[in-house]
Amino acid sequence: MFRYAVRRILWSIPTLAATSLVLFFVTTLVPNTPVTQRAGEGSDPGAWARAVEARRSSFADLPRFLNRHPQDVRSRAREAVAKVAAGDSSASPAVTARAREAGVELDHLGGAALPYVIPALEALPPDARGRVAVALAPVAERMGLAAQADVQQPETAALFWTRFWDDRSLDYARTAVARAMTRLLNHGSDLREHDLVALDTFALPDVIHAMSTTTDGQALARLTRIAHHATGRGPLLEPDAEPGDVRRAVADWREWWFVHATDFIVLDGARRIGAVVSETRYGKWLRRATSGQLGLSAIDGEPIEAKLASRAPITALICALALLVSWTVAVPVGAIGAWRRGRAFDIASSAVLFLLYATPTFAVAELLRRVAGAFDVGGARIALAVAALATGSMAATARWQRAAMLDVVGQDYVRTAHAKGVPGWRVLVVHALRNALMPTLSLAALHVPALLGGALVVEEVFALPGLGFETLRAVEAHDSAWLMAVILAASGTVIVSLVASDIVHGALDPRVREVFASRARRRS
Amino acid sequence: MSEHAHDEAPPSVMRASIMQARRAAAPYVTATRIALAQLARSRTARFGGMVLAAVVVVACFADVLASDLPLVCRWQGTVYVLPCVTHPPALADVDCAAMRRDPGDRAKGDWLLPPLVPYGPDAAVPARALLPPLHEGHPFGTDALGRDVFARVVHGARTALELGLGASAVLVVIGLTFGALAGFAGGTVDAIVTRLVESLTAVPTLVLVIVVCAVVPHPTTATMLWTIALTRWTELSRLVRAEVLRALGTDYVMAARALGASPTRVLRRHVMPNAIGPAVVAVAFGVATVLLTEAAVDFLRVGPPSTMASWGEALGEARSHAGAWWLFAFPGAALLATLVALNLVGEAARDALDPNLRGSIARPPENA
Repeated sequence: MFRYAVRRILWSIPTLAATSLVLFFVTTLVPNTPVTQRAGEGSDPGAWARAVEARRSSFADLPRFLNRHPQDVRSRAREAVAKVAAGDSSASPAVTARAREAGVELDHLGGAALPYVIPALEALPPDARGRVAVALAPVAERMGLAAQADVQQPETAALFWTRFWDDRSLDYARTAVARAMTRLLNHGSDLREHDLVALDTFALPDVIHAMSTTTDGQALARLTRIAHHATGRGPLLEPDAEPGDVRRAVADWREWWFVHATDFIVLDGARRIGAVVSETRYGKWLRRATSGQLGLSAIDGEPIEAKLASRAPITALICALALLVSWTVAVPVGAIGAWRRGRAFDIASSAVLFLLYATPTFAVAELLRRVAGAFDVGGARIALAVAALATGSMAATARWQRAAMLDVVGQDYVRTAHAKGVPGWRVLVVHALRNALMPTLSLAALHVPALLGGALVVEEVFALPGLGFETLRAVEAHDSAWLMAVILAASGTVIVSLVASDIVHGALDPRVREVFASRARRRS
Repeated sequence: MSEHAHDEAPPSVMRASIMQARRAAAPYVTATRIALAQLARSRTARFGGMVLAAVVVVACFADVLASDLPLVCRWQGTVYVLPCVTHPPALADVDCAAMRRDPGDRAKGDWLLPPLVPYGPDAAVPARALLPPLHEGHPFGTDALGRDVFARVVHGARTALELGLGASAVLVVIGLTFGALAGFAGGTVDAIVTRLVESLTAVPTLVLVIVVCAVVPHPTTATMLWTIALTRWTELSRLVRAEVLRALGTDYVMAARALGASPTRVLRRHVMPNAIGPAVVAVAFGVATVLLTEAAVDFLRVGPPSTMASWGEALGEARSHAGAWWLFAFPGAALLATLVALNLVGEAARDALDPNLRGSIARPPENA
């Protein structure tokens, strides 16, 4: 039995992989909108930046499945340095424009790029060295460094940065940052904060990580301040912020980091090999799907996973109640129908069930709402929603129950029970129904997809704030993060319930186990 | 000589005897033939078939039943035959009511034979909004924009069949291909197709369609149909696979192979004819799924924008007018009747195909 369960679970892995591929294709159907406009040419530079950012945060800039040259801070910094170096006064306008963009990029990369930019200065001709050093001026300003004049002049700037690196290169090591971070979290003074500000974006990996591990309001305020200072974006927290604000702000930073981490970290060794797969659209998508970090809602900025957790109970409750109601009605109806096969009850119940079977859930829900429109109370609404949702699965269940019962009724042991004088109702309930119940109960998982679809409809009709209701709001607001999360959650639920029902079925019925037995055992 | 003449039978007798011999010798009783014969005997399937036939007739003659142009007319001296179908440009600015009312444009001796209901599905008359049934020549009343509900229901039948059959055609092609591939190739191909089928089964149709229509930049009705067709072929491919595996084990396939038939010929001549039954089941349930999903999506008002008159759209409109029961009742009844008929035919076809499934311990179609 244990072997069967393990086997069944292992067999669901390829299914999960295939499902993830299918859903990936569906949810990234949005065509790869190319950003064609170049900086400076457009009428609105803000729109250009927003377009680039939107493309970035939907990972549209990454290849689909394999990234043979994953970008990290080192490659970005080298590229930017080369472009800035090429942009001397005699260069063509296109090269100058590219050099200007690369300067902005160096500013964006910040402190994290210094370990690769400053050593590279040596190899450049003097005038190019000066241009690159001047391009780093905004970084020096952010880090609170030295006299402005030094970094603004091409002649002095290169020298300034070389000296800076002689003094400070020891601080640009991950262990040093980790130590500084521990000190900040333990003692938390302005001086410690300044240590990290001086590292600029180089400290970001530890800062973002510390945000999700610490709960201290004071520390969080300092961390958001450091991150905001280095990046010029994102929410700031006050030491006495509300828990909701803290959650939203931390989620916002983590989401930003999820998209932009490779601007500030180096991919080397195993990470570089891993990045070939993980720094792709599918890789990012899969990490979203499996890590539970599903992004932020476009409606209210809440993290999707928190929203899912708060809405799911209502949907789960409606579905569970509907399943329960449909069983309580359908099992007796189906069983008696088979018992009295061909009589009036059987024919009438079959006809009614068939009608219910074919009626769309939304029509039932709308009818119920119209008929019972007066009871506009929370509890009554849930009851009506459950009733509407139950009709669909009720009909299917009753039909299965009837079929299963028909199988059992013709068997010898039932005849034996009749023959030895067991009362009719006892034969029905104790002898026949007990065996006929099993297939019905174990087929419950087949209802799950229909129940989830139906829940969406009844929640909307009866205005119950569950997953389906929220999904329709997300459709109106084009909240693709929520839509992706909800289709993932729905498909995951269906797969889990199918596996669970197979295991239960296998536990009850040894014949089912054979399907998943190994080939060797099947032959023997 | 005379004996010879006796042997030679007249040609007509000979032809008849060949036919007889064919009929007698033809062990041409495939599983599908038995199934189709059984299907024809089933009373519920006949009833469902009649309802479907009615829907098809209504869809074909929608323009004759309800249109704003007459069946035959003489307008300004010219006789037009069936302008309601052809929509001649000369009559672009008039309709039945205008032809009757307008003495200025009407030439002497003009006449017209109006269709059953002289209103088209799109002709909105705001002044006649929300008329109850049987008022001012509107048998089913009018909706909030003043459009005739009867016309919209009748033309909705056409939309329903177009959408349903369109999606089902794609679905059947995919399902047959994958099912035949899995059953005939076996091994790794079979394993891959089986996993794919299982993984697609895990995605709830309605949720998927809503999500796709929301993330695609410019969703159309075709987007929805493709989504359904590309994900709902799984049931058919499972049935086809089972049929193929069953057929491959039969003696006639072995005989065909022994006679040297190529695998393609075996597949085409001896195996695939068995898949007609499953295809009938798939079309019935496929059309039902499309109608249900389309109606649910339109009802929730998250569907792609469409100008076609459809039952789902009519039902969606009914939501915001609680007092106007006719907006809900007539399209709802049309939808329900079609769905019941499709399910009756589909179930009967499935039962006929595999008597073991009678009472159907099988996957229910997703009912939303």
